[in-house]
Amino acid sequence: MKSLYLVGTPGSGKTAVALGLALKLRQEGLNPGYFKPVGSTTGVLGHLDEDGVLMKAVLGMTEDLDTIVPLTVGSFYVSGYHDPKKSRDRILESYRQIADKFDPVIIDGTRFPWVMASYGLDAISIARDVGAGVLGTMQVKNDFDFDEILFFNRYVVCKGLPLVGNVFNNIPRPMLAKTQGVYANLLSSFGYRWLGAIPSRPEIHSPTVAEYYEVLGGEILAGEDRLDLLVEDVLIGAMTIESAFDTLRRALNKAVVIGGDRSDYALAALETSTSVLILTGGLYPHIHVITRAKEKGVPIILVHYDTVTTIDRISEVSRRIRPGEEKAIALALENIELYCDWQKIIEILKA
Amino acid sequence: MLACGYGGRIFPINPKDKEIEGCLVYSSVTQVPEPVDVAVIAVPARGVLLAAEECGQAGVKYLVVISAGFKETGAEGMALEKELVAIARRYGMRVVGPNCVGIMDTHTPLNASFAAGFPHKGEIAFISQSGAMLVAILDWSLDGDLGFSKFVSLGNKSDLNESDFIAIAAEDPATKVILCYIEDVLDGSRFLDVATRASRKKPIVVLKSGTSQAGAQAASSHTGALAGSDLAYEVAFRQAGVIRARSMSELFDLAVAFAKQPIPRGGRLAIVTNSGGPGIVATDAAEQQGLTIARFSKSTLDALRAELPPESNIYNPVDVLGDGRADRYRFVLSKVLEDDNVDAVVVLVCPTATAEPGETAGVIVEVAGKVPEKPVFGVYMGGKIMKAGADILAEGNIPCYTFPEVAVSAMGGLAHYARTVNAEPAQSLPDYDDLDRERVRAVFKSVKEDNRLVLLGSEGTAVVEAYGIPAAPTKLATRAKEAVAIAEEIGYPIVLKVASPRIIHKIDVGGVRLGLDTPGEVMANFWAVMSNVQRSLPDVIPHGIDVQRMAPKGIEVIVGMTRDIHFGPLIAFGLGGIYVNLLEEVVFRLAQGLSTRAIEKMITETKAYTLLRGYRGQKPADIAALVNIIGRVARLATDFPEIMEMDINPVFAYPSGAQALDVKITIS
Repeated sequence: MKSLYLVGTPGSGKTAVALGLALKLRQEGLNPGYFKPVGSTTGVLGHLDEDGVLMKAVLGMTEDLDTIVPLTVGSFYVSGYHDPKKSRDRILESYRQIADKFDPVIIDGTRFPWVMASYGLDAISIARDVGAGVLGTMQVKNDFDFDEILFFNRYVVCKGLPLVGNVFNNIPRPMLAKTQGVYANLLSSFGYRWLGAIPSRPEIHSPTVAEYYEVLGGEILAGEDRLDLLVEDVLIGAMTIESAFDTLRRALNKAVVIGGDRSDYALAALETSTSVLILTGGLYPHIHVITRAKEKGVPIILVHYDTVTTIDRISEVSRRIRPGEEKAIALALENIELYCDWQKIIEILKA
Repeated sequence: MLACGYGGRIFPINPKDKEIEGCLVYSSVTQVPEPVDVAVIAVPARGVLLAAEECGQAGVKYLVVISAGFKETGAEGMALEKELVAIARRYGMRVVGPNCVGIMDTHTPLNASFAAGFPHKGEIAFISQSGAMLVAILDWSLDGDLGFSKFVSLGNKSDLNESDFIAIAAEDPATKVILCYIEDVLDGSRFLDVATRASRKKPIVVLKSGTSQAGAQAASSHTGALAGSDLAYEVAFRQAGVIRARSMSELFDLAVAFAKQPIPRGGRLAIVTNSGGPGIVATDAAEQQGLTIARFSKSTLDALRAELPPESNIYNPVDVLGDGRADRYRFVLSKVLEDDNVDAVVVLVCPTATAEPGETAGVIVEVAGKVPEKPVFGVYMGGKIMKAGADILAEGNIPCYTFPEVAVSAMGGLAHYARTVNAEPAQSLPDYDDLDRERVRAVFKSVKEDNRLVLLGSEGTAVVEAYGIPAAPTKLATRAKEAVAIAEEIGYPIVLKVASPRIIHKIDVGGVRLGLDTPGEVMANFWAVMSNVQRSLPDVIPHGIDVQRMAPKGIEVIVGMTRDIHFGPLIAFGLGGIYVNLLEEVVFRLAQGLSTRAIEKMITETKAYTLLRGYRGQKPADIAALVNIIGRVARLATDFPEIMEMDINPVFAYPSGAQALDVKITIS
């Protein structure tokens, strides 16, 4: 079978699709493997490529993580990294090891398809080198996002690569009808293959408190056993307490970012749907806040930088499914079964 | 305990001592040979649970736990406190505290506290959430003649709280007025019940702190009080007939007034003065307090005219002139007190050359004593010269103040209380028998399934319609063609409104189009609204557009609801439309205890009412239709505790009927 290269943008949930597809292929009696040529590490606490760790565990692959994810890069790699040829050799050598054992190989893209283009190791170049079919997984929030998909598809075709099609993933609920109707028709009218639209599901698309903690660091003052809570919204506490309730009540499973000295606001937030209190400025809250948070089972993260910096860092937080998260793993599979034309994908890979 | 003259038996419990002040010491309360009513626990926090357990075994009924080291110290202390309450529940004991000063009762007498000193016997019950406040007031009162019936330090309020002690003080024959200092109310609903009943028996004056932003922050740090809206407290106190003091001094000024003076029949005030300026200050203050400057009867005016010098003012405020001596005060005060149009009198005395402060004080005490059903207040303006007279008034149980506005404000409190006592008992809302609870539940279920807390306009409309509130027909369209189909179904003219839980002010983002008459207009404006919103809020993805049948113009009002964390649904009414935030012309009531009569009163309190009853030749609006809508909103909020916020803005009121145009609902 042909290998399948998943390409997309941040937030498009490539790994969740890779995971669901791999599980589905295995159910269908195939022997899929996972390969991520260029990985990345997250936050201040991460040292390994989490996607590689997950897939190695779920698929029970015995290869080293270094083989499954041969390279990892940061956003300033050009002057510091090994030379391009060595890097390329390493990727291809690792790929061959995996391809010898598994069929098909599901290849997971980096955050953006153009990462490491300077070394000729962008997603399209590697896909060409290993002869993989390309599957575009994209999140569509507006018409421009759809344009991006078309632009990308045309580039793949120009480069002479086999384009498997597009899966629209992590679609916000209000966009689902439009995606299934308008965008699906438009995509087909341009001659590209529509392979499904997977709705956004907080259980696999919303980050957990643990992921906030990994990015932000700091101290956990309460709820250390509840870091698996999902964060679906972020609220910055800067208003008077009278108007705060109105805002606090509108947001579900939220992270509330406030100065540690605002115990009134913190207590109010704890009375609403809050997944984590992020206290900024290194200001320890009053004992009542910690007591109430413990009672409510809501984690408190105390960070030592100011609110602006905290918000800035929060933009880096993204959801990753971890080994052992059985519910999320089952959901990834369910998404493929319910919303994705996986039969078509197998058919194309076999052709 | 011994020093206060406690008449019952005292059993000290201590593992080491044999005898304290002549009382035999027991090693455990279980060793005491006879039944014990109250145990005062003052051992380190870690020993409290054992002591409480033994008290339970010994059949003790009440615990006063003075020990600190509980909830106020954090999670461990909180767990300890919960355990203490659990032990008390197990044995049927009730608990004061922990972390409190204790309780005192001057009539029994009983001193179960660690306060230094014991209050004078009196008729004021003082209940305080702050122990320090309590001991400071105690010490301050010992310097004067202020007496108390009970002193209660609430501490952490683990079991017994303000509501329990208000209920007890209301039944206590030795107590005439109940004073409270609180930072929060634990059970708002029960407080309303208890205070409403108690305030019919005797006045309750409350100083609730933490009303300012910074104050609320301080309160949250002091006792962990959760900042509820001060507005809700304000409304709750008013609805329960509780008098709210704004400062410590006002709290005790009111206490003295209630303890020493009768409750007036009404708020018609007479002012008797020997100088013009202070009389005017008092008159201004009276109006601010909602008091009426009494209009004397013909016979009073005739008598005053006959007796007083021609240059004196015989109309209220009565000016006895700077040369007015005690006898002139005697004459005027007797006359105005006799007048049926007067409910209370404030007597002002300034130190003029011929004034007789001492003699005048004697006269005031004497004359006031002859009309015991009408309150009289003294204002002795000055210092050194006036002191002796002021002392005579104090001894004669006439509250005496240095400045007029304080006296008038005390009378304001009394008159306010008179209105509370005389008000007819609250009725309840009608039993609306056409409510479709299942339909509301179904809407909420689908909103939750969509992982939202904020309802779309079409969903909000469905909810209020299920509760019999007339609303303009509204349906959600996700595409332009669908919008046209809905328009054809519900009829033109049409309004389009962007539907998104993330957009609070739709007009501000160009999300509303009015008066669309054709399918073509609906189609074109559907896209216009979508692109306006996209431009203003690029990150927001609308759920679609609400298509609504455009209603004929009526008077715009708002009916709203916010759920207060202590007192439950708070219902708002006022002028509606886009000016509601600007004009803030909105009045509030708690849904608890709301009646049709109260809703009518609520409407008349607003400026909107001026419009509604027909302004400048317009036809009057259907007030009954608005009362119906407000009542049904209150019922909806009461039936569905998951509704946290609700705004129907605007409601259009017509000469006949009213209808909801835009409904916002947030659930939990």
